[in-house]
Amino acid sequence: MAVYNSYPLVIILVLFISAFAIPIFKSIKAARTIGISAAGISFVLSILTLMGVKENGAYYFRVGHYDAPWGIEFHIGIIEGLMGVLFMTVSLAVLWFSIYSIDHDLSKKKVPLFYTLVNLLVGSLLGIVFSDDLFNCFVFIEISSIASCGIVVVKDKKENIKAALKYLILSSLGSGLVLMGIALVYSLTGHLNMPHIHEALVSIYPEHSRNMLIAIGLFTVGLGVKSAMFPLHTWLPDAHTFAPASSSALLSALVLKAYVILYIKIIHRVFGMSIVGELPVLNIVLLLGAVGMIAGSVLAILQKNLKRMVAYSSVAQMGYVFFGIGLGTTMGLAAAIFQIFNHAFTKSALFLSAGSILEKTGKKNISDLKGVGKEMPFTMAIFAIGGMSLVGIPLLSGFNSKWNFAVAVIEAHRVELLAVVLISSLLNALYYFPIIINGYFGEESLEGKVYRNTERPIKELLPVIVLVLGVIYFGVSGGGLLSLIEAGIPALN
Amino acid sequence: MKFLALVPIVFPMALAAGMHFIEFKNEKHRRAYLFGGVFLNFIFAMMVLSTAQPEMHILKINDFMEIYFKVDGMSKLFLAMTSVLWIFTTAYSFDYMNHEGKEQKFFTYFLVTAGVIVGISLAGNIFTFYIFYEFLTLSTFPLVIHTGTREALASGKKYLIYSFSGATLVLLGMILLFSVTGNLEFMPGGVLQGFAIGKRLTAAYVILFLGFSVKAAMVPFHSWLPAAMVAPTPVSALLHAVAVVKSGIFALVRTTFYLFGAEAVKAMHVRGYLSILIVLTILMGSFVALHQENLKKRLAYSTISQLGYIMLGILLLNEDGLTGALLHLINHAVIKITLFFCVGIIMYRTGYKTIGEIRGIGKKMPITMGCFSIASISLIGLPPSNGFVSKWYLAMGGLQENRAIFVVILLVSAILTAGYLLPIVVTAFFPGEMERELVNKEPPLMMLVPVLMLTGITVVFGLFPNYILHFIQNISRSLI
Repeated sequence: MAVYNSYPLVIILVLFISAFAIPIFKSIKAARTIGISAAGISFVLSILTLMGVKENGAYYFRVGHYDAPWGIEFHIGIIEGLMGVLFMTVSLAVLWFSIYSIDHDLSKKKVPLFYTLVNLLVGSLLGIVFSDDLFNCFVFIEISSIASCGIVVVKDKKENIKAALKYLILSSLGSGLVLMGIALVYSLTGHLNMPHIHEALVSIYPEHSRNMLIAIGLFTVGLGVKSAMFPLHTWLPDAHTFAPASSSALLSALVLKAYVILYIKIIHRVFGMSIVGELPVLNIVLLLGAVGMIAGSVLAILQKNLKRMVAYSSVAQMGYVFFGIGLGTTMGLAAAIFQIFNHAFTKSALFLSAGSILEKTGKKNISDLKGVGKEMPFTMAIFAIGGMSLVGIPLLSGFNSKWNFAVAVIEAHRVELLAVVLISSLLNALYYFPIIINGYFGEESLEGKVYRNTERPIKELLPVIVLVLGVIYFGVSGGGLLSLIEAGIPALN
Repeated sequence: MKFLALVPIVFPMALAAGMHFIEFKNEKHRRAYLFGGVFLNFIFAMMVLSTAQPEMHILKINDFMEIYFKVDGMSKLFLAMTSVLWIFTTAYSFDYMNHEGKEQKFFTYFLVTAGVIVGISLAGNIFTFYIFYEFLTLSTFPLVIHTGTREALASGKKYLIYSFSGATLVLLGMILLFSVTGNLEFMPGGVLQGFAIGKRLTAAYVILFLGFSVKAAMVPFHSWLPAAMVAPTPVSALLHAVAVVKSGIFALVRTTFYLFGAEAVKAMHVRGYLSILIVLTILMGSFVALHQENLKKRLAYSTISQLGYIMLGILLLNEDGLTGALLHLINHAVIKITLFFCVGIIMYRTGYKTIGEIRGIGKKMPITMGCFSIASISLIGLPPSNGFVSKWYLAMGGLQENRAIFVVILLVSAILTAGYLLPIVVTAFFPGEMERELVNKEPPLMMLVPVLMLTGITVVFGLFPNYILHFIQNISRSLI
């Protein structure tokens, strides 16, 4: 057993322990130091884990040193390793950004609480990704639900409480459905460990197919609510709009993604394609994904509030992920996982830059932001690159992602679905470009207006710039990431 | 020197960025910086064209996404044309933009566009082409809305929507083509050797053709072009008579002859449907131009009709037709830029925009209107102008296909061309309103010299077409 094998557990422990350590010290500075250094340590460990997995392949880690059916196991393959790095990179960048911004959003007393919640959240999300035990996943799901509602409500305004309640209710509904799914699977097989469930399910498949359909249905709807699958997304716009910028970035970049990864694991590890292929579930997921890609964008076009628009765009982007899963092919799955990367980087950069614009100008509505590019050229440039990536301008990661979907669609012999991918990206152009254009060129509204130099200093923008560099990097050399994902997919089964 | 091709692409963009850091002491210094830069870039471009190693692989992301430049006859033709015309436009813009204002911004995007156009001409596969094609939209958009008025912003929006819809079709076509061939490199004769022409390939061709024809302003995708005439005249001239619309045409040549190949397109039996649209383009452009009061709009519709000629020549798929098309590509660029520059001079000196206002103006600016007349005659295609040569080859190409109807259309359209251009000349020179005092209103030399030189080029191409004709004939022979 190599040293790195225990790192995933160490990452989760470091994050959790730091989360509980923060309230002990009451000062903001201590909270920040502990929170960020824990994230930093976890970031390094996640990279080492990925390197180890790349070298030696996937492995199981027995948390309590008991063997599988009795003890809890982690399963770490390339996909899990990649997700670990992705989650830690984004959360580190967001935490870095929060140093400069969170004081404006929260009252002084709440700042340490924010860091506690973020570390709890990221730790539990990684737990969902790493764990190979369904019930263990459920425990992490519950922790993450509470923590993610927490980072919405930590800014104690009226609308935040309302949004968080809505989020909490729907999210608990989702958890409840997942729990029922787990219970059903357990009653069928007597196992909670994923590979063991899979073995048992395959042996009893034909006679219990209806029960399995119900179980998959429960997982699909339950996790679909949590990861904003259209039309179960209704909690998302409120939660993402009213939360502080750093929270919105984490919510859309990471929280949605962890549940999708769990869903992928349930499809591929728990049930396996041999069973799922016989059931109509994937076609429904594909359909909902496709509808979400279009409807999310259409809803985004109708929004007047900048953050709300970006939030609806998340619905569309998550539609792509479900679209890829729904195709049911290896390439489709790889495209979906690549899209998780693309969206995590792009959307967190978009939320952080949109949040900066709102914070500095005090304006929420898109129509008030004409000429903002003159006042905050760099922030607007970051927003522009993020928007162009989602529109699908070549050499940015969004283009690569769309290309992967196109290849997957053709490989699956469903050429007609190309239209959905392309129309959706055209719709993206319809809401991102007007903001960029009015931001830089809407000069008439500037007449008679005093130029306020409201630009954030470059130092404070650095974390967002790091995220944008990620967007460009995956655009220029996305091939490496894709082949890594493709190499990791067999280990998922 | 694999990265040599990047020099003329990146250099103007660096110049554009540099403009924001250098404090120019006065207007003269900035002019020297800009003109020197554009001229230097012309030399860089020529160096790339004469390089011994014509294939430059820059960056490979995967089989589909590869940035790759290649120098061949077509890219030589297009790059030489655009970079020569760019120099003239730079010189012309100095004084003109002085009167429009916001020069810093104008020249920034003007230079960026210069780099993007080099990328378009050198692209060695359709993916590279597509990248620069998208960037072209983005970099020309600020130029279109330069004046910042409500009307300009509305036109700009229209321009973006049309262009991006076209580009989306192009992407769809590319993906379909790639799913069959797995190869998107521009090669003479196409990449389809050994592939059966199936439904998917036919769909790919039609989709690519329609996608690119948005930029080439084919009816019914043309309406962004007249709307974009709100831009300052140098922009209209260079971008909408030369660079933007011609890159659409250039793309059609690349797709038809370098991706699919003439044989494959012939076998698809879709030419008939496409040529209906093209004939409509030719005739509608001319008819609408006839009753445009605004001079620039009249020229814009004329562009639509003339671009129709070129597309018709491409779709004839024979040697003469292609020769005529490519020759007309060059001739129309030179003629149309002259016409636009003359109209720009009128606007600059007098502020007149419509044909009713310019009565008798030929007496006040004889050189400008003289150049305008020569260019008009060339565009109509009277011998011995260069327009005659290109139309001759187009007609020959039509006859080879046994389509006498095309020749008739060309003739009708030539008459219409005379119908919308000659009235301008006649109004300007003949019914002179002598009561207005006769002052010389010729523009500054920096504007007049480019116009004179361009008119000179038009005349020389008409009298001695052989050099360029041979070059073009070599290209078209290699393709068919």
